[in-house]
Amino acid sequence: MTERDPAELLARLLGPAGPEVGCDECFEELDRYVELELAGEDADAALPGLRAHLEGCPACREEHESLRALAGGEPPA
Amino acid sequence: MTATVRGMAPAASLRSTPLDAESREWLESLRAHGAVRDQAIARLHALLLRAARFEAARRRAALPHVRAGELEDVAQEAAADALMSVIRRIDDFRGASRFTTWAYKFALLEAAVKLRKRAWQGREVPLEPESWGAFAAGGLGPADEVEQRELLGTVQLAVAEGLTPHQRRVLVALALNGVPIDVLAERLGTTRGALYKTLHDARRKLRRELEARGVPLDRLEER
Repeated sequence: MTERDPAELLARLLGPAGPEVGCDECFEELDRYVELELAGEDADAALPGLRAHLEGCPACREEHESLRALAGGEPPA
Repeated sequence: MTATVRGMAPAASLRSTPLDAESREWLESLRAHGAVRDQAIARLHALLLRAARFEAARRRAALPHVRAGELEDVAQEAAADALMSVIRRIDDFRGASRFTTWAYKFALLEAAVKLRKRAWQGREVPLEPESWGAFAAGGLGPADEVEQRELLGTVQLAVAEGLTPHQRRVLVALALNGVPIDVLAERLGTTRGALYKTLHDARRKLRRELEARGVPLDRLEER
């Protein structure tokens, strides 16, 4: 197995330091968050705690990336 | 559906925003009757299928053992399930985004969950710490290497001694062994939201444990 940096281990184990929303609220607000991002507005100020959740939850992060790509007109890969 | 992890006020999910013309047309036609509604549902299904195929295409490289036909089957299932969810929750749409963006997220979620489960089909879900040894910083001098080894030892002890067995299994599976949260939720008979809450609680407890054991988290997290 490839060696990985202990700093990466700590980040994965500890997650985000600040307050964060849960997966359900993340899903509820993801469309609004993405459209604010695509419009160049301050999505993090409008929806506090969502960015921290995306940092701590790989599954929600993947879905955020996909929605932003799809809604932003990017190709799939 | 707006459970929060740290008691944050639910974001303005009850907010109602004036709808753009396209979103209004979607809502009106989906709430209509007869042929208008049938056509709207067909259009919606096509939209959701496009989103599900988009997700399948993004994950294709990570699923080399899955045939193209099977990916298409997953996309079709995801689109069908997402269609049911969108129709069931249509009254929850309040115009915080375009209707299409709101609908897309249901298809992306369904496809992502199904494809994560497909990727782990038949694989054992590791709940015990089997990956500690994979972590080692390269290119360090002897003093730094000793410090890193001590840090890893302290983290292992804090995980072993400071968490409940359930918190430890969830933290290790998700954060250390990289098990997808949907896969673990299915194996443990729980939900993604409940599992993330456990992960969040475990992380907070581990943070306190490490601080109590003198680990300078502020300094380490700045690196």
